[in-house]
Amino acid sequence: MKFASVSDKAKIGNNVTIKDYAVIEDDVVIGDNVVIGSNTFIGNGARIANDVKIFHGAVVSTVPQDLKYNGEDTILEIGEGTVVREYATLNKGTTYSNKTVIGKNCLIMNYVHIAHDCMIGDNVIIANSVNFGGHVTVEDWVIIGGMVGVHQFVKIGQHSIVAFMSRVSKDVPPYITAGREPLRYEGLNLIGLKRRGFSEEAIKSISGAYDVIYKSGMNVSDGIKKLKENVTTDEVKAIIKFAEESTKGIILDK
Amino acid sequence: MKNVDISDKAVIGNNFKTGSFTVIEDDVVIGDNVQVGNNVYIANGARIADGVKIYSSAQISIEPHDLGYKGEKTTCEIGEGTVVKELATLCRATVGKVGSRSKTVIGKNCYIMNFSHVAHDNIIGDNVILTNSANCGGHVEIGNFVNVGALAGIHQFVKIGDYCMLGTCIKVVKDVPPYIMVSREPSRYIGLNKVGLRRRGFSSDAIDSISKAYDIIYSSEYNVSDAVVKIKEELEITNEITNILNFISNSKRGIIR
Repeated sequence: MKFASVSDKAKIGNNVTIKDYAVIEDDVVIGDNVVIGSNTFIGNGARIANDVKIFHGAVVSTVPQDLKYNGEDTILEIGEGTVVREYATLNKGTTYSNKTVIGKNCLIMNYVHIAHDCMIGDNVIIANSVNFGGHVTVEDWVIIGGMVGVHQFVKIGQHSIVAFMSRVSKDVPPYITAGREPLRYEGLNLIGLKRRGFSEEAIKSISGAYDVIYKSGMNVSDGIKKLKENVTTDEVKAIIKFAEESTKGIILDK
Repeated sequence: MKNVDISDKAVIGNNFKTGSFTVIEDDVVIGDNVQVGNNVYIANGARIADGVKIYSSAQISIEPHDLGYKGEKTTCEIGEGTVVKELATLCRATVGKVGSRSKTVIGKNCYIMNFSHVAHDNIIGDNVILTNSANCGGHVEIGNFVNVGALAGIHQFVKIGDYCMLGTCIKVVKDVPPYIMVSREPSRYIGLNKVGLRRRGFSSDAIDSISKAYDIIYSSEYNVSDAVVKIKEELEITNEITNILNFISNSKRGIIR
């Protein structure tokens, strides 16, 4: 770290590696065993947990791309074990929620942009050049393919997978695969669910629930009403909750 | 500020601030109150006006992505108050080719977000927003108050009219006339940019007349040239209508449908 520019005021944990030409500003907290790559920028408001790895040229906790932002003190949290690859740009929050949060053990690949006030869950994988708008919520275990654009305020449900080069402008409910143009339901994320140990019974109940929502000829709200009559598993509960809380509406199957 | 490499020959205005590891080459002119982040590269030919803000790792006035470029002296101008966010890349221009202008121009109060690319010989108007990863080809012209969606690709030589709004992830291969919104695949007219127009103080009458003109242009009855004739016959020729008609008559690639 011969040439790194690290503020004396930054709180830096044990066994942290900081490579050349990295810049770390004052109001930064970095946990233990963190690796900060060369040419990275860690701005005021960064809260980086243990074992995080940040690669060359990434830009972490910078000013949100929001014309209303006026220099308020907001933060960006990165959870334990998350990996941020080259040239990713992560913005801190605006006064809307005062923080942007990225969970534990996520993989954020090259050129990804996480915008202000995004809430990213744990174990999320975001592939190259994915760009989020502000206020996006991504739940746990989601996988987003390369070059996807996500509109502001969108929610993506747990264990779902979004195909590469998609445009996401409505909410993607949990446990599914979404793809094509316009973005639509393409079935369950079966491989993902099996890998994460979902039981046959749970998968069947999810499949049944989406058959009601997408294949029974009802519109989404009627489908949800019908589902509520006979809730079998927690997964179905999660689907109903997600659909009911959705403000942008969930994607359709056509 | 640490380990910056700023050429003595660069002309730099008052109250200039920079982060660490910034590189500024010889033939650079920077106005007053300019702020530059860390690891920024400002190459020969940059002409940066007052009040511009450039964030970390952005690259300004880099060599054009053009195989014919042989190191000629060209410029990249950035207007007052424009913000260039992280890792955006702005190219200087080419010379001696079709569409060469010797300068790339970015207007005033623009907002160039992360990873956006402004290519050689682009002319970008004032108050334009290029959202993340918007990529322009060479010689592109963008009017004032245009909003380009994230991950949009704009083909070389395309023109975008004033007050347009381009959707996320779209592919723009034909000219986009003023005041409209474009989205979907293939990209097409999806209505007026009404919210944008109202925010910028267009009267209801003005919006009405624009709407009537596009109803004619995009009705199934006419092709573009017939629609132009029809508009001239039927509508009162306001400033907005003149803008639309001028744009259409100057369009070389044809307008989107």
